[in-house]
Amino acid sequence: MMNNNGTTPLPPKLATATANLAEALRAAPPLATYRQAQADLAAEPAAQALLDHLMTNQNELRLKQMNGRITQADVDALRTLQNEVQENATIMAYVMAQQDALAYLPEVNQSISDWLGIDFAALAGR
Amino acid sequence: MNLIETPVADTATADTAVALAVRAFAETLADSAVFHRFEQANQQLRADSEAQAAMLAYQQKQQSLQALLMLNAVSPAERGELERLEEAFFNQPTVTALLAAQTELRAVCQTAAAILSEQIELPFAAACGPGCAC
Repeated sequence: MMNNNGTTPLPPKLATATANLAEALRAAPPLATYRQAQADLAAEPAAQALLDHLMTNQNELRLKQMNGRITQADVDALRTLQNEVQENATIMAYVMAQQDALAYLPEVNQSISDWLGIDFAALAGR
Repeated sequence: MNLIETPVADTATADTAVALAVRAFAETLADSAVFHRFEQANQQLRADSEAQAAMLAYQQKQQSLQALLMLNAVSPAERGELERLEEAFFNQPTVTALLAAQTELRAVCQTAAAILSEQIELPFAAACGPGCAC
């Protein structure tokens, strides 16, 4: 039997254990720092706009590259944007925090796998 | 910028809390009916000599044809034999039972991972870490 969102309902004890693990993870320094960096970025529209601009620019450049229509001016514009992003402390703090948080999660998955004797991430990954 | 300060004592406390929560989560999952069914099915397959023989025959055939399979140069007869051995293995009742138990366990693990991902706002059970080369 599945929930409305297409997932299998968890037994009550496991649902509680999952909620407790989520709470502990949210308080863990790598994830707490990531959320704070996320909030800092959201609170700084100029930094957010710069990041959006970079991503749009990168996508456009990829399309141009596929069509063989990329120019030196396009490459220079991208480099300028990349430099601006790298000089933005809020964006760089966000990027570093995200990297740290993503590096931390496999360790947690590994601990679960060690306890269970199965590869939890491989089984739970979609 | 308002970065969260994480003194050493707080970090240690948070790490301990995660370790305890991981342990409680794993123990609860290990104690669930779905995990017991998976383990039981696993044990039954290991104890099933007919299924083990079918698995060995399929694996040996697959290994003997590995190079030809990569080149897509297996003869129709050899391919037919490989498919027959594969079917013979997957039709073993203990194999079918294990696959069903694994599907059931996977669904539960995916739900738990989805809840964790939603709560921490990051993909919890991404198969690879940043250092992964796959």
